[in-house]
Amino acid sequence: MSFSRRNFLIATSVAAAGSTVLSACSSGDAGGSGGTPSAGATEYTGAKVTVGTAADSTGPAPEIPGAKKGGTIYGLAPDDFSHLDPQRIYYAYNSTVALLLHRCLTGYKIDASGKQKLVGDLATDTGKASDDNKTWTFTLKEGLKWEDGSELTVEDVRHGFERSWAPFITEGADYAQRALTGKGGDWRDAYEGPYKGKHLDSIVIDKAKRTITFKLAESKPDFNFTLAMHSYAAVPVKMDTKEKYDKKPVASGPYKIKAHTTDKSMVLIRNKHWDPKTDSIRNAYPDGFEFRFGIETLDGVDRLIASQGDDAYGVSIYKGVPAERIQKVLTDPELKKRTFNGLLTGTYFYWINTKRVTDLKVRQALIHAWPLQQIRQIYGGPSAGDFATSVLSPDIIGYEKTDVYNKLKKPQGDPAAAKKLLKEAGKLGQKIVYAFPNDPTYNKTKVVIENALKAAGFTPVIKPLESTAYYDQVQQIDNSYDVMWGGWSPDWPTAYTMIQPLLDGDAIGNGKNNVSQTDVDWINEGIKKNAVIPDQQEAGKAWAALDKRIMEEVAPMIPETYQRRFYVYGNKVGGAQFDPNFSATLLYKTFVKA
Amino acid sequence: MFRFLVRRILGAAVILLIISALVFVLFYAAPRDPARIACGKVCTPETLELVRKNLAISDPLPVQYWEWLKGLFVGRDYSSFGHCNAPCLGYSFQSREPVLDTILDRFPTTISLSLGAAVVFLTFGVGTGMLAAVKQGKALDKIASSASLIASSMQIYVVGVFATYLLVDQLHLLDRASYTPFTDNPGKWFSGLLVPWLVLSLIFTANYTRMTRSQMVESLSQDYVRTARAKGLSSRTVFFRFAWRGAMGPIVTIFGLDLGVLLGGAIITESTFSLQGLGMLSVKAVQNNDLPMLLGVVLVAAGAIVVFNIIVDTVYALIDPRVRLA
Repeated sequence: MSFSRRNFLIATSVAAAGSTVLSACSSGDAGGSGGTPSAGATEYTGAKVTVGTAADSTGPAPEIPGAKKGGTIYGLAPDDFSHLDPQRIYYAYNSTVALLLHRCLTGYKIDASGKQKLVGDLATDTGKASDDNKTWTFTLKEGLKWEDGSELTVEDVRHGFERSWAPFITEGADYAQRALTGKGGDWRDAYEGPYKGKHLDSIVIDKAKRTITFKLAESKPDFNFTLAMHSYAAVPVKMDTKEKYDKKPVASGPYKIKAHTTDKSMVLIRNKHWDPKTDSIRNAYPDGFEFRFGIETLDGVDRLIASQGDDAYGVSIYKGVPAERIQKVLTDPELKKRTFNGLLTGTYFYWINTKRVTDLKVRQALIHAWPLQQIRQIYGGPSAGDFATSVLSPDIIGYEKTDVYNKLKKPQGDPAAAKKLLKEAGKLGQKIVYAFPNDPTYNKTKVVIENALKAAGFTPVIKPLESTAYYDQVQQIDNSYDVMWGGWSPDWPTAYTMIQPLLDGDAIGNGKNNVSQTDVDWINEGIKKNAVIPDQQEAGKAWAALDKRIMEEVAPMIPETYQRRFYVYGNKVGGAQFDPNFSATLLYKTFVKA
Repeated sequence: MFRFLVRRILGAAVILLIISALVFVLFYAAPRDPARIACGKVCTPETLELVRKNLAISDPLPVQYWEWLKGLFVGRDYSSFGHCNAPCLGYSFQSREPVLDTILDRFPTTISLSLGAAVVFLTFGVGTGMLAAVKQGKALDKIASSASLIASSMQIYVVGVFATYLLVDQLHLLDRASYTPFTDNPGKWFSGLLVPWLVLSLIFTANYTRMTRSQMVESLSQDYVRTARAKGLSSRTVFFRFAWRGAMGPIVTIFGLDLGVLLGGAIITESTFSLQGLGMLSVKAVQNNDLPMLLGVVLVAAGAIVVFNIIVDTVYALIDPRVRLA
């Protein structure tokens, strides 16, 4: 799948190994690396996310030592951005450029070590919530302007929400729409969109005070994280060109589009009306960016390694170093200095269909049997990522490392322990149908999985599925698979965004993401209870406990890996670092070296 | 001759029609839904219906095909893209740009790549083949024959990467592959395409060397050549005016077909060198489930092959009256 543009399905491809994670993977799926870097992999230590103060939200962004203004950074990529209209942006790759062009009420301020704080971007802080977390109020900073010099107003911020209802906008996130209407998936029925002059009752603005208030139908203590998604960026009411906005959006960020030839190139130049004093997140040292599309991953990496001509100022926007070059990059000390890496935001795992594999002991035996080490070896070894041990990923606020099934000590699988459990359950020789996307990587991992299952006393049946329609097939609740490869990337770093879609009884259904079909009362109740804990650090602890209990008492999935991606950049690029939210190069921190 | 041409062109139109219908049917036979793909993560049935309407794929398959065909001749109106002038090949599901504009934008890259490579492989291939035929059985012949055997077993994606590494990255002898329109900067156009030309023609050169050699060897042993020699004509005259002209017929035929295929998109070469031609466009269209783009590229590729077939047939018909009656 090395050529593909990956806003496929509901899935977004992320892994260096060429895998596809079922992912929301959009603005604000915060993360970075939390886990201990594997031997020989990296020094990168990511961190959890915290909520910043009004002072943290005040610009300008802290200077990067040694950085200076000027020059052009060249971004290489196989594909063009599929959308530039912020309301149509959900896919992480599009968000990498959206960070330069668009601004939301909130955003993530990332330091050199990858630690991040949620801060106000357009807003003065991360918002004031009512006691029940149903009413959220934000105040806009002063001096915010669009690229033509006109003022960015609260009406423009509201417009960014309301135009999500337009029939041509079908690709964005819908968390806010659901919360604002209380109609769940039928949110479109509640409002016809802003183009006939009507506004949403649940958003109240005060132009004089520059405030915008969201009146939610349900309690959302992490609503300010939701608003960091580019799907909720501001759009100027007076310059909204509707369908055409996707080709030429109006910038509020530090850069604006000068030229764009679809699938070939895009040139960004400074937006002189962007005032760094209003922005505590973005540095914006280069005078411009030039993106060159159609450069295949391997070719792009080779160009950055060679660093000739413009390529010396080049970065790979979203494509990590492929397996073919990873050894070269990591073993050449000069080259290694020109790399950075980080963990992808989500967790890779295998769903166990709890409606078919009903016996807990059999599910636990599957986890014991699973050959994590052999699988990771196929992905590229320790540099490809860390072993996962529970549903939550290390980027989630409150994440605690657990190892209920001793997988870190026996990553190669423990057939004896598995067999013992199977015997106790009286299910020795049980047939297990394993389904996976039919592509080269998973055709390799299926071999080690098949062997491990046999060694543990199972009778494996291997079922490769057409990869472009993979999720559509496993998301059918009457499917005939026992274990299914999968992955999930959260939209923002609170546990609700992983546990709810994957394990809530309400999320069972055709096309829905509770593929294990787990419907357990105490999990459903735990989700409801934890979702309304106002303090995110407190909530994090409760979620971590739930995560552990799910693994112990339900074992609905086999956690596999937290995958790692390495990037290389040109020898005249400074400030290049991993974007923990979008698993990409953090463009606004790069600069041209003297 | 006129009737012959009309017959062939009508035949070509029917072939293209069948191909387009086949692509349509095959595309929808696969278990994937372009609307589902464009719909994103939170895809409610309502949103899915909106996407279908926006992409103009909500009608039954025969209606969609008919609308597409009609668009070719009278243009078409889309709810989300506006009007598309005839000949309308539709809008890409992926880039939401008109398919025809994209193809016209990419075609010059493919033409430059194909024609340039053709010049190189014809010159070297036919030249080396002739030399080998003259020096039949001698050292030069053996070297040329074995070299062409090795070259013809090479793969572009291996040679291409190696050539870039050696000639561009290490020795700095040539420029990295890129495409600059000839009208913008002829120098850059040439230097940017030189490596792809050389690599692409390497494989073809070998084939043409082998083919020219065998054709020439066969011609040189013909009775009419022996007669010409016996009449006392100079070696040069015998070689070029008699043997060479006799040998070139089959080579012209193969060349016509090769060029047609190349113009449809040199997929591997374009991918290896990241050149944005029709080949790359077709790969991306398949990967992105982009039916309108796929149809457009397939039609152009099929059209190129069909057109060159007609040219080859016409040339043959001019030479050999029997073909016209067939």
